[in-house]
Amino acid sequence: MDREGELSPAESLALIEGQRAELRRRRGIRPELILLAWGLAYLLGFGGFYLALQGVVPEVLAGLVLGALGAVALVLPIVEGVRAARGVRGPSRTVGVMYGSAWGLAFCANAIVQTSLQRQLAASPEIVSLMWSSSSLAVAGLMYLAGAMLWRDVPQYLLGAWMLVSAALSVLAGVPGNFLVLAFAGGGGMLALSGYYVIRSRR
Amino acid sequence: MTQPWPELDPVIHAQARLRVMVALSTLGPKDQLTFPRLQQLLDMTAGNLSTHLRKLEEAGYVEITKTHERRTPVTYVALTPLGRRAFEAYTEGLRALLGPRGEPP
Repeated sequence: MDREGELSPAESLALIEGQRAELRRRRGIRPELILLAWGLAYLLGFGGFYLALQGVVPEVLAGLVLGALGAVALVLPIVEGVRAARGVRGPSRTVGVMYGSAWGLAFCANAIVQTSLQRQLAASPEIVSLMWSSSSLAVAGLMYLAGAMLWRDVPQYLLGAWMLVSAALSVLAGVPGNFLVLAFAGGGGMLALSGYYVIRSRR
Repeated sequence: MTQPWPELDPVIHAQARLRVMVALSTLGPKDQLTFPRLQQLLDMTAGNLSTHLRKLEEAGYVEITKTHERRTPVTYVALTPLGRRAFEAYTEGLRALLGPRGEPP
């Protein structure tokens, strides 16, 4: 055997674990980062809108915060997905492309349905706000349920179910309470799962 | 020369090949990785990686597929089911040698 290959079992096991961690860092999708970005966008963006409705902060500021954090949260999963797919062919890539594009399709379809319904119903600003918050939470919830089934991830399933509950709660809460539901139930739920993933990966 | 750890698979128990096996074991079932991407992830020279891949292929642990994409030749690498099992057996063997607390018995 080659001389450089002389490893003790302990060195060998350390090499395997170190190499796995490095590959996860360089090639894997980091759901804790994506959930952190979206959780912060919801918490600070929609929390900001709640404060704007209370007259605490200017509405422009709340819009800018949501826009900036939302842009980061939108780009991050695309960057992660492209990096993970580089040089790979096979079922994982197909599933990843389908899952990633499903988020885009679902939110585009929802946006068209919501805007045209709101126009046809001549909906009041309150109804418009409730339609947006509930439908966004419901679409996100369903996508997390789908992700949980694809990757057999029970905690993600719990987040999906929680987002669906939040969708209902946001309508029941009315305006401006729906912004608190978006910020704390929606954003808080995503941050909780992000934190759970971090703790799990360290064990 | 004597093998100090006769219980461990000598094809896998060499630093460079072990790193190749770990990298390929992180792929999903039936997924394949291009040779250049594997080379980049492992930070190995093409010649060195080829040599080790050939040994792994001879053992039946790795499958190498040569194909064309947009008229450019592309080489894909993946673990075979035998290779995946061998890698699992190898890591189990290590744990058995190290004992339950991760220390030599």
